[in-house]
Amino acid sequence: MKQLRLHGLGGQGVVTAAKILAHAAGLYENQYAQAMPAYGHERRGAPVYAYLILDAAPILLKSFVYEPDYVLVFDPAVIRQGVNVTAGTHSQTCFLVNCSLSQRERLLEIKAGTLYCVDATGISLRQTGRNVPNAAMLGAFAAVGTVKLEAICAAIRRNWPGEAGEQSVRAAREAYSAVQRLS
Amino acid sequence: MGSRKMLDGNAAAVEGMRLARVQVVATYPITPQSPIAELLASLISEGALPGKYIRVESEHSALAAVIGAALTGARAGTATSSVGLALMHEVLGVAAGCRVPVVMPVVNRALVAPWSLWCDHQDAMAVRDSGWLQLYVQDAQEVLDLLLIAYRLAEDHRVLLPAMVCMDGFFVSHATMPVNVPEQECIEAFLPPYQLTNLRLDPADPMFINDLTPPEDFLEMRYQQVHAFSRVLAVFEEIADVFAACFGRRYETVTFYSAHETEIFLVTMGSVTGTARYVAEKFRARGQNVGVVGLRSFRPFPAREIAAGLQNACAVGILDRSVSLGGQAGPLFQEVASALTRSASRPLLVSFLAGLGGRDIRPTDLEGAFTILQQVAAGHLCVTQPVWLGLRPDAEYIRGVVNCAGDSVAG
Repeated sequence: MKQLRLHGLGGQGVVTAAKILAHAAGLYENQYAQAMPAYGHERRGAPVYAYLILDAAPILLKSFVYEPDYVLVFDPAVIRQGVNVTAGTHSQTCFLVNCSLSQRERLLEIKAGTLYCVDATGISLRQTGRNVPNAAMLGAFAAVGTVKLEAICAAIRRNWPGEAGEQSVRAAREAYSAVQRLS
Repeated sequence: MGSRKMLDGNAAAVEGMRLARVQVVATYPITPQSPIAELLASLISEGALPGKYIRVESEHSALAAVIGAALTGARAGTATSSVGLALMHEVLGVAAGCRVPVVMPVVNRALVAPWSLWCDHQDAMAVRDSGWLQLYVQDAQEVLDLLLIAYRLAEDHRVLLPAMVCMDGFFVSHATMPVNVPEQECIEAFLPPYQLTNLRLDPADPMFINDLTPPEDFLEMRYQQVHAFSRVLAVFEEIADVFAACFGRRYETVTFYSAHETEIFLVTMGSVTGTARYVAEKFRARGQNVGVVGLRSFRPFPAREIAAGLQNACAVGILDRSVSLGGQAGPLFQEVASALTRSASRPLLVSFLAGLGGRDIRPTDLEGAFTILQQVAAGHLCVTQPVWLGLRPDAEYIRGVVNCAGDSVAG
């Protein structure tokens, strides 16, 4: 079983990303996948959480994720807002953070298992024209996690048919190759 | 057989209503049910679900419209949550007392006040004596399957009672997972079209429906309802066998997830059953024998089955996701305790209150619950009050009213 916790701000596509990843694993890779969003007082710019559990067997756990194997951070601003992205993590936990070159120093505060970063914002703006980094983050996850890029691209196309989907697929592919390990 | 789709509980409910060929829909949106209302409206407007959509201004009218439609012989549907269900309150009794077999998904959410949008069984528990069947599901697959079973169960001439299929707000309604969706052709064999057999609205055959019932008759009318409830569990077993033969999944009104010699149990309903099973497996892997009793039917309450399954139990915890304010702990605790008064064995009972208003029930919460049960069973601990899982130490002081200077008004 692999447990994922996704962090970001409202409007960055965090909840949708968890659903698309569930589709990728559940429909195109025959895994069991359970995506669960956490809804609070909803507004753009507020911290949001989504959870995803992946397993080869049916998933019994029906709570949020407290011991993540993967932590995806769509916006390091959540750390400044007091969200503890390292809560419950262990020495094998893999962090994937959306950050640009200039933000890299800030991330070393994460005394993580393994820390990866990718400029999902830059890639999204270039490929889709919008500052919604979720497709890029999903592509980047394929490089470090347990769901393959082709499954993710298929799920992206299924969720966004047409040109919007193709742009998102390009963002995912570019991010897949752009992931860098920091520690 | 069937196709694999990634669905959350809400989407699974709509699949169930679509496969059941619901012909009339009247819904009013309310978080976390809203995607059901929206999806049904879309399906009907696109023609994907042939039927009539009646726009109503409230849940009270929604259920009234559905009852009216059902009385003309249409399979009619609505869905609701929380205060929407509360607004239906007086109309629930019409469906039940007139024996109209409406099936309704309920997405469980707390009632007010405090104002909440989140998971709690309080809404359905507040109407537990309304005369509706109440089934509580564990996940999106069970939403779909138990909805289909509920149509056949409610419409059975030996039953003719309305049914609520209850799913946890957000933890089931918004949790996406793989769901096997049967083909429409396979559903036809399992669930034939609705056949009107009782009261009817028919200009060619006019009759009074729900006229004033004097004391000479009222007692017996209620007796008929109770008698129908007494047949439900047996009819459920029959239908579950047919469902298993058609679709390969066999459901029980209560499932004991335990080994032979298990003496410590936690009774649960809803999505927390899965988390409880997950935690129980960890205990068993450490050589500690604990079990989970996953209840699916709350109304009717399977008292005999519960008593029989717990006859060798030493300590039984009952987890309520709602509180019976002013009463003994929670509704599930009261039902289990009552069922056990007639059994020869008298296990020690512990009430656990958890997950109210959307508070997540964490694996560590349930580890704590099982540990308490172990200590109770061993005689090391005596618990006479409900145990609140996850209660904050400042519970009595939060949200106090203060004046402008920040001083507590209560002094």
